[in-house]
Amino acid sequence: MTDALTALTGLHRDGILADRYPRVRALLAGLSDAELARAGRMLARVDPDAVLAAHPRTPAPRIAVTGHGTLSGLVPALTAQLARHGLLARVSASDFDGWVFDLTDAGSELYATRPDLVLCVLDAAVVADELPSPWRVEDVARVLEEKLGLVERAAEVCAAGSPATTLVLNTLPLPGELTSQVLDLRARARLGAVWREAEARLLRLPQRHPGVVVVDLAPLLAEGVAVRDVRQSVYAKAHLSDGLLAGYAREVGHLARVWSGGGKKVLALDLDNTVWGGVLGEVGPEGIETGGGYRGEAFRRFQLVARQLAAQGVLLTAVSKNDLEPVVKTLREHPGLVLREEDFVRIRANWRPKHENLAELARELNVGTDSFVFVDDSAFECGLVRRELPGVAVVQVDEEPALHPRRLLGEGWFDARELTDEDLVRPVRYREEQARQDFLHTFDSLEGYLRELDIAVTVAPAQARQYARVSQITLRTNQFNLTTRRLQLTDVQALAADPAAQVLAVRSTDRFGDNGLVGAVVLRRVDDVLHIDNFLLSCRVFSRGIEQTVLGAVLRHARESGAREVRAGYRRTAKNGKVADFYPRAGFETVTADEDTAVFRHDLAVLPGPAAHIRLTARFDSAPGEGDAP
Amino acid sequence: MKTVEDFVVLLHDELALSVTVEDLGRSLDSVESWDSVHLLTLCTLLERETGRSLSLADVLEAPSLEAVYRMAVAP
Repeated sequence: MTDALTALTGLHRDGILADRYPRVRALLAGLSDAELARAGRMLARVDPDAVLAAHPRTPAPRIAVTGHGTLSGLVPALTAQLARHGLLARVSASDFDGWVFDLTDAGSELYATRPDLVLCVLDAAVVADELPSPWRVEDVARVLEEKLGLVERAAEVCAAGSPATTLVLNTLPLPGELTSQVLDLRARARLGAVWREAEARLLRLPQRHPGVVVVDLAPLLAEGVAVRDVRQSVYAKAHLSDGLLAGYAREVGHLARVWSGGGKKVLALDLDNTVWGGVLGEVGPEGIETGGGYRGEAFRRFQLVARQLAAQGVLLTAVSKNDLEPVVKTLREHPGLVLREEDFVRIRANWRPKHENLAELARELNVGTDSFVFVDDSAFECGLVRRELPGVAVVQVDEEPALHPRRLLGEGWFDARELTDEDLVRPVRYREEQARQDFLHTFDSLEGYLRELDIAVTVAPAQARQYARVSQITLRTNQFNLTTRRLQLTDVQALAADPAAQVLAVRSTDRFGDNGLVGAVVLRRVDDVLHIDNFLLSCRVFSRGIEQTVLGAVLRHARESGAREVRAGYRRTAKNGKVADFYPRAGFETVTADEDTAVFRHDLAVLPGPAAHIRLTARFDSAPGEGDAP
Repeated sequence: MKTVEDFVVLLHDELALSVTVEDLGRSLDSVESWDSVHLLTLCTLLERETGRSLSLADVLEAPSLEAVYRMAVAP
C-alpha cells in the first residue's frame, strides 16, 4: 500500500475524513486505479454534509445517477474522482431502472433535488432486455428507436424544466453476445450498422441541446477495458464493468471540474526525455532523439500531440533543467523537432527547482498554479511539484516515449464544454502579451506606456454568438471575478432572454492586436436600482484601466437611464482577494460587509472620470437581431 | 488471505466496513452500513486475493459474511 493510501485509510479508521477533507486531494494525486477504487469506497462512506459543515467552501456539485442497470458501484468511483479535483460529490442514486420516470417527468423527485449533473447511464441491456424470443435485427432496430425517443424526450424535459442541469448520456457498447446470435453475416453487419446509427444519433444530441454531454465509451473500450463482467451482468444486473464505470467516472470528474471553474490552461513540459530523448546537456543537439529512429519517432508523436493541444488554446511552456541558450538554439534550429520556440508562450531553462519556475510562470501568465498540467519523466521532479503545488496536475511519463501521448491524453485535463474563437487564438494573444511586456520595459512610467498602448474598449450587450465565450469567462476567471457566480451556457441564454437582466460583453484591442472578448458584466434592474450581479475581466488585461473604464460606463448608463443608485456585491473566494476593494475605489460606499461578502452602493452623484488613455465605445441598447437564439 | 482476521482487514480497508470477527456470523441485513452491492465488490476482491474463481450466484445467496469467507477459503 502506498503511503498516501495508508494515510487515507488512517483518516478513515479514525473517523476524521470529513474533518480533514482538504487533505484528501493531495493524498489521491498519485494513486493507481485500484487504489483509487479503494479510496472511493472509503470516501463514499463520508457524509457530504459533514464535510460541508467543516469546510463550507468546498465546491460540491449535486449529482443524480439514474439508468438501466445496477449502478451503485458508480457512487464510490464518482466520489473518488471528484475528490481528486478538490470537489465534493453529493451523489444520489435512483432506484433500479428508474431512468424513464426520473427524466421524462418534469415533476420527478430527481429534478426536485435540483441536480447540477444528471448521469443517465445506459447499456446494451436496455435494448436486449426487451427483445422477443426469438428476435431479428428489425426487433433491435425497433427497440433502439423507442429508447432513443425516450432519451430525446428526456433531453427536452431536462432542458425545459431544469435548464441549469447538465444531462450526461453515454454510448451503448454492443456486446458480442448479441451480434454472435445473428448467423447471417449480412444481417449481423446490418445489426452493427443499426446499432452504430443509434449511437451516432445519441452523439449528435448535444448539437441540439447544449445542456447534454455524451460520454463516448468506445475509446475507453479500445484501450482494453472490458464492457462488463458477464456474471455481474446476469446475476446482479450490473451491466457495465467496474473498470468501465471507473473510466466513465473519470470523465465525469473532469466535467465536474470544468463545471466548478477548475479549467486547466497551461501545459508545462519538461524537455529532456519528455519532449525529446536524451539529456541535451550531455549529448548535445545532434545527440537528442527526435524525428528519426524508433525512439525519435515516438518523441515526435508526442510533440505533435502537444502542438495539437496548443492549436486549441492550451498554453505551452517548457520547464527544463538546462542552460537557456542551448535549449533555445535547439528549439530554433534542430531539424527533427516539430515543437518550435514559437510554439511555447514561455521557455524556462535554468537550474532552479521546477515548482519555483511553475509558480513564477503562473504569475507572469496571470493564472493560478492550479491551471497547470506538468509533464515530466523524473519521479523526483513530479513528487516535488505535487508536494509543493498540490493544485498542479502532474503527469509522470516514463522511459517508454511511445506511451507519452496516452499518459498525457488519458485524462481529459484540457477538456472544455465548448471551445470558443478566443481559445483558438489564446497562445497568440499570450505571445502578444510578451511583446507588450517588452514594450513596457522601454518606458519610464506606466502612464507613458498605457498612452502608447492605444487601448480601445467596446462595451455592448452580448450577442448570441458570444454567449459561449461569456459563459467560459465566468467558468475560467478566478481572480477578477467579483462574485464568482459560474454561468453555464444555458444560464447566459436565460439571462439574455430576461428583460430585467443584461449581459454585457467587453472587448478590447491595442497596438499589438485584438484582445477579443475579455470581460463580462451582468446587470439586473429592479425598479430604479441597477444591480451589478457580476463583473469579470480576463487576467490578460488587468490593470490597464479597462476595468475602471467599463465600470464608469455602467455608472453613466445607470444615471442616464434614470436609475436612483447602483448596487454591487462582492463574494470572497480563495482567488479574488485582489478585487475586494474594486467598488470602493470607484466611489461606492459600503452597505454591508463581513468576512465573505460585501454589498456596495453608488449614489451616482459624482461619477469617475474616463481614463484618458482609453478610447471607449459603450452601447447598452440591443441592436436589431441581438440576443436572438443562435 | 489466510485467516479470518485477514478477511476482516480486507472488509475494513477495501470495503470500508466497520466489522469485527464477531459480526461475521450476523445476517447481512444487520451488518452496519451494509449494501447488497458490496457482495459484488467482495467477490471480485476475493477472487483477486485468492487467485480462484468463486460462484457469484452462491456469493449472492450467502446469508452472512462468514459464509462468504468459508467459500473463499474452502479447499
